[in-house]
Amino acid sequence: MKHVFQHPPEAPSPTGRKYWRTMGELNDTPEFRGWLEREFPSGIDEMETDALSRRSFLQLMGGSLALAGLGMSGCRRPEAFLVPFAKSAEWLIPGNNLLYATSMPRRGGAMPLLVTTTDGRPIKNEGNPLHPASNGGTDTFAQASILELYDPERSRTFLLDGQASDAEAFAGWIMTLRDEAKADGGASLAVLTGESHSPTRERIRGMLLQQFPQMTWCVYEPLSNDNEREAMKVAFGSAAMKLVPKFAKADVIVSLDSDFLCVEESDLAAVRDFSSKRRVAAATDPMNRLYSVENRYTITGGMADHRLRCPASQVGAVAVALAKAVADATASGPLSDLLSVVPATELTKLEKSLPWINEAAKDLVANRGKSLVVVGPNQPAWVHALGFAINGALGSYGTTLTAVAAPAPVGVSLGALAEKMKSDAVKTLFIFGGNPAYDAPSDLNWPELQKKVAVVARIGLFDDETSTGAKWHVPAAHYLESWGDDRSSDGTYVAVQPMILPLHGGVSELEVLAGLAGRDKIEGPALIQETFKTIAKNVSDDAMAWNSFLRDGFLANSAAAEASATFNPAGAKAFVQSNFKSPPIPTAEAMEFVITPDYSVWDGRYTNNGWLQELADPITKLTWDNAALMSKATATKLGLTWKEDDIRDGKGTGVYGDWIEIVVGDRKVKAAVLVDPGHVDNSVSLSLGYGREKVGRIGRDAGFNAYPLRTSAAPYFVSGAKVSKVAGDVYVFSTTQHHYNMEGRALVRELPIETYRAHAGFDEDGKSFVQKFGMDSHIPPNVSLYKHPPMTAQHQWGMAIDLNTCTGCSACVVACQSENNIPIVGKHQVRRGRIMQWIRMDRYYSTMTDKEDDEDPQVMMQPVTCHHCENAPCETVCPVNATVHNEEGLNVMAYNRCIGTRYCANNCPYKVRRFNYFDYNSRPLDQLYLGPLAKKGVAETVKLSKNPNVTVRMRGVMEKCTFCVQRIEEAKIGQLRVARDSNNTKVPTDSFKTACQQVCPSEAIVFGDIADPESKVSKLKKRDLNYKMLEYLNIQPRLSYLARLRNPNPKMPGAEAVGMSTLKDSHGH
Amino acid sequence: MANIFPKWTNHLPIQILVAGGVLFISVIAGMTYYFTPKYTRVGYQPVQPVPFSHSIHVNQLGLDCRYCHSQVENAAHSNLPTTQTCMNCHSQIKLNSPRLATVRDSWKTGQPIAWVRIHEAPDYVYFNHSAHVNRGVSCVSCHGQINNMAVVWHHEPQSMDWCLTCHRAPENHLRPVNQVTNLNWKPEDEGPGKDGKLRTQQEIGEQLKVAWNVNPPVTCAGCHR
Repeated sequence: MKHVFQHPPEAPSPTGRKYWRTMGELNDTPEFRGWLEREFPSGIDEMETDALSRRSFLQLMGGSLALAGLGMSGCRRPEAFLVPFAKSAEWLIPGNNLLYATSMPRRGGAMPLLVTTTDGRPIKNEGNPLHPASNGGTDTFAQASILELYDPERSRTFLLDGQASDAEAFAGWIMTLRDEAKADGGASLAVLTGESHSPTRERIRGMLLQQFPQMTWCVYEPLSNDNEREAMKVAFGSAAMKLVPKFAKADVIVSLDSDFLCVEESDLAAVRDFSSKRRVAAATDPMNRLYSVENRYTITGGMADHRLRCPASQVGAVAVALAKAVADATASGPLSDLLSVVPATELTKLEKSLPWINEAAKDLVANRGKSLVVVGPNQPAWVHALGFAINGALGSYGTTLTAVAAPAPVGVSLGALAEKMKSDAVKTLFIFGGNPAYDAPSDLNWPELQKKVAVVARIGLFDDETSTGAKWHVPAAHYLESWGDDRSSDGTYVAVQPMILPLHGGVSELEVLAGLAGRDKIEGPALIQETFKTIAKNVSDDAMAWNSFLRDGFLANSAAAEASATFNPAGAKAFVQSNFKSPPIPTAEAMEFVITPDYSVWDGRYTNNGWLQELADPITKLTWDNAALMSKATATKLGLTWKEDDIRDGKGTGVYGDWIEIVVGDRKVKAAVLVDPGHVDNSVSLSLGYGREKVGRIGRDAGFNAYPLRTSAAPYFVSGAKVSKVAGDVYVFSTTQHHYNMEGRALVRELPIETYRAHAGFDEDGKSFVQKFGMDSHIPPNVSLYKHPPMTAQHQWGMAIDLNTCTGCSACVVACQSENNIPIVGKHQVRRGRIMQWIRMDRYYSTMTDKEDDEDPQVMMQPVTCHHCENAPCETVCPVNATVHNEEGLNVMAYNRCIGTRYCANNCPYKVRRFNYFDYNSRPLDQLYLGPLAKKGVAETVKLSKNPNVTVRMRGVMEKCTFCVQRIEEAKIGQLRVARDSNNTKVPTDSFKTACQQVCPSEAIVFGDIADPESKVSKLKKRDLNYKMLEYLNIQPRLSYLARLRNPNPKMPGAEAVGMSTLKDSHGH
Repeated sequence: MANIFPKWTNHLPIQILVAGGVLFISVIAGMTYYFTPKYTRVGYQPVQPVPFSHSIHVNQLGLDCRYCHSQVENAAHSNLPTTQTCMNCHSQIKLNSPRLATVRDSWKTGQPIAWVRIHEAPDYVYFNHSAHVNRGVSCVSCHGQINNMAVVWHHEPQSMDWCLTCHRAPENHLRPVNQVTNLNWKPEDEGPGKDGKLRTQQEIGEQLKVAWNVNPPVTCAGCHR
């Protein structure tokens, strides 16, 4: 008889908070219960009947087996060859990894990287820990750019009028173009490119302008900091500077629609510094406090201690009210003066939120010099100017906010270029990267505009919307294939060096520009070296300096100098006066439409990246799509139905969204709705980057395009949107929040810091306050029926994750995917719960249980991966010993033994095991159900991306996190090489990291040897905040968590509920 | 009515049983021998593109293994020499030997020499040379006396069982680190112990195992990742 293990009942908590992950769970719908009680999510183990029935499958299999038997060709030993180089290659040791320092050019500044190459192919990006603005962390986009390099759908050929051409023809065309352009001084020549900080590009631009003084140089980024720059120009009188928030010095932070914990929006240093003030090493340590004002949940909002739901269009009104409160409290003349130009009605516009705003202002003022207001790039320039003034009144300049020199933006805007194109002034247009035909503001009608230009030369990674109709399409070299230079966000001069020759013969932007400037074909880094000489002055030995530049990846002490910027209140006042706008508060009839960046594909540049598409959005947990997000109340008002956990078609658990139409003026967009807890009412958010028309297989038919509603005048939000339900079938989303649910049980723990301080330390029974949360407070002592495996080795591996600094950015998920050869499975397989990622990022909402329909939940993140239990339940049920314990405490998988019974996954209390239902690694995702008839094998380029030190798993095999056993073994063997004939075999303390630990920009994941008392992880595990998930099962996991702390302001409305989640029911026994 | 089964069929069941038993045992016995690396792999001696003789280079000329397999102490993979390594000497001696034509061609054209692979661990096995040769496991333990082979053959079965035999009792194969590439080394070469008797492999191995803290992994993750 099946024995059902009964978890201890969850203690009732009549007034406490409740954790939930989906709307269905919150409401405890019958569908949700039915789904929960199944061993696997519905559809996970069913064949798709319409594709191929089991019977016909067997018939076909029988036939192919019979044929295979005839030849007996499999019996001969295949001859294999070992092919050494003819000429020895420097540094290259066959089979060993070789690291190179480079950097990934990004809009906000290059991200310093160390790239692992093996046998000449790059396989993994890591952060460069030597770089001053990096802690060795990276983000999802940097991790996934390896896959972009190997994308089989990258453009491979030079196209002239759609016909194959070659590099020589293109170079020849450029020569003739030069002669033509010289004649008119370049007046008919235009270059459209993205934002870059490359000194070499700037140098070549100078060369071009000398030769073609009339040339148009246009820089366009769909998502930019232009609003902030515009405000800065008037408020500080200089565009050649940049304001850098110093989160390491800020105790109180108010974020006005800013997602500064998203690395792409700010930088690694911001996340690192914010975490350093968030981390609490001892109960007496101070902790920063974050207030967040936003219309939808972002990861920054998730970290906030207090969050105000506010329409994006009303953030300006919040800023005004905040400024007023700060001005009153500080008696700041300039700020009061500035506010005099704002209508008095604006101050009371958000009456209900005023207590919140006033308390936040009081807290800011009480911490003058240690407080900071950050305004998001989506807010209009006047809000930025107001933000500058508030920071001035708070004394932030020079302490929490410093100005550094930065080159002033160059070139004209896209609008100005469009004007020139309209008047037929542009005959030749170079488009480097970007994708204006898709992402230009819709009022420009770019695709039509582009047709007016006689010759468009497009240099891009993909043959996409913009390449359509272009005379020339030129495959661009990826940044991992080309020489270049750049500046990181702190201004440090960094190198971009190629890891591999261009796979498809692509050329870099610098090469084309240099060719246009009349330089001969450039081999190697000559262009960069010339720039380097001008930047690295006072160097005695040029060659030596260049070599160390390439070795370190950056030039030491080249960070931007602090600029002396004085805030000019008069300028700001005039600017606010002339630019102030007060959009009406959105109503059900005239809603607000908000355009947001997407955590997976950003503005659309990463749309064809499978790792990013399958990466669940940190907040909505949506994969492979974007969705129109709105609150439950708004959806109800619109008469929308949304259904979760539905198994109506037997194809898995989907979220079904009704279609809506969003009409702004004469433009409209159709999209399906996903209800987003924590979203403000009467507001609809749609992220950019989806609904592409000409894109590879990965990005095809994914999501809805928000760009048609995006105009130059209102690029980020627009008021007065008419939203209505559209009749028709529902749209099915694939989300991961339904999978691997563990039904509460105090899995995540959080508490306010004051409560923690009052209960710091351990009780007489050796347990701390946090360790007795939930059912852990009333369980009998653990006894085990099983023999505890002997763990006698000198290393004992373990991990601790600090929930207090984890933002949920999910970089660890992609890093793990890259390191461990984890395949993607596609939207339909995700829906069936077959996602393969070894780490999942659980996102919990918590609401007060006494409030039925709380629309304002708090968010908590929890990365969950294999816990490497010492008494592992998965091991005892494996009939073939495919998963066993090793002497170092690892729960190891022997793939070749696995016969795929899936008993282990069934018995895993953490639900972290993943099963290969199909040959995800070697069959096309749209042919999975064809079995052996499907095309076998993947593109050659994709094979190059695999890590040779990790087995590529096949169909029918169970897999899960190994604690990066390949890195553990490499470290141990490395130490054996050092030890030789000595007994010094212990790996030095904390000398290597797992992939997830290495990538984490907030250093929340710590891995190491728990037998070594000096290791970081040992010290963390001794903390009183350290707890084990499901400890009462006595499985003794090696992964533990540090409870999350919140730092509520006691005077704030609703402060009593902050961080109280599992606290209420924890000490009744 | 005549009997359907003639008399001789009375013994048929027992005969079938006996014959079946014999067949069963011989099939099992055959499989355990013929279907294991001991039979399928030992003795594999393919023809190489260059008739290179380890015997001449090691025994006659005294080259160390690491002259050609130069990264064996630093990498998982024991590298084959590049053509350049061959040409270090052969640009001066045996200049016109027809046996070296392939090497000279490779050097001239830059086309590498494709040596036929003899020892091959399966894809899911991550063997590491450096972990062994740095810790007193000689080349000879896994490859046999290559120094005596004119043409190399597969000497040991290199099956998982064979690996584990040594991992469970490494003392049978440990030797001083400086003797790892001396394929002719014998325990007796180490001279007499304190008791005046010649030392055995077991004695030396036990001593080194303790002194060097040798704990070869015997669980899956040691080799499978």
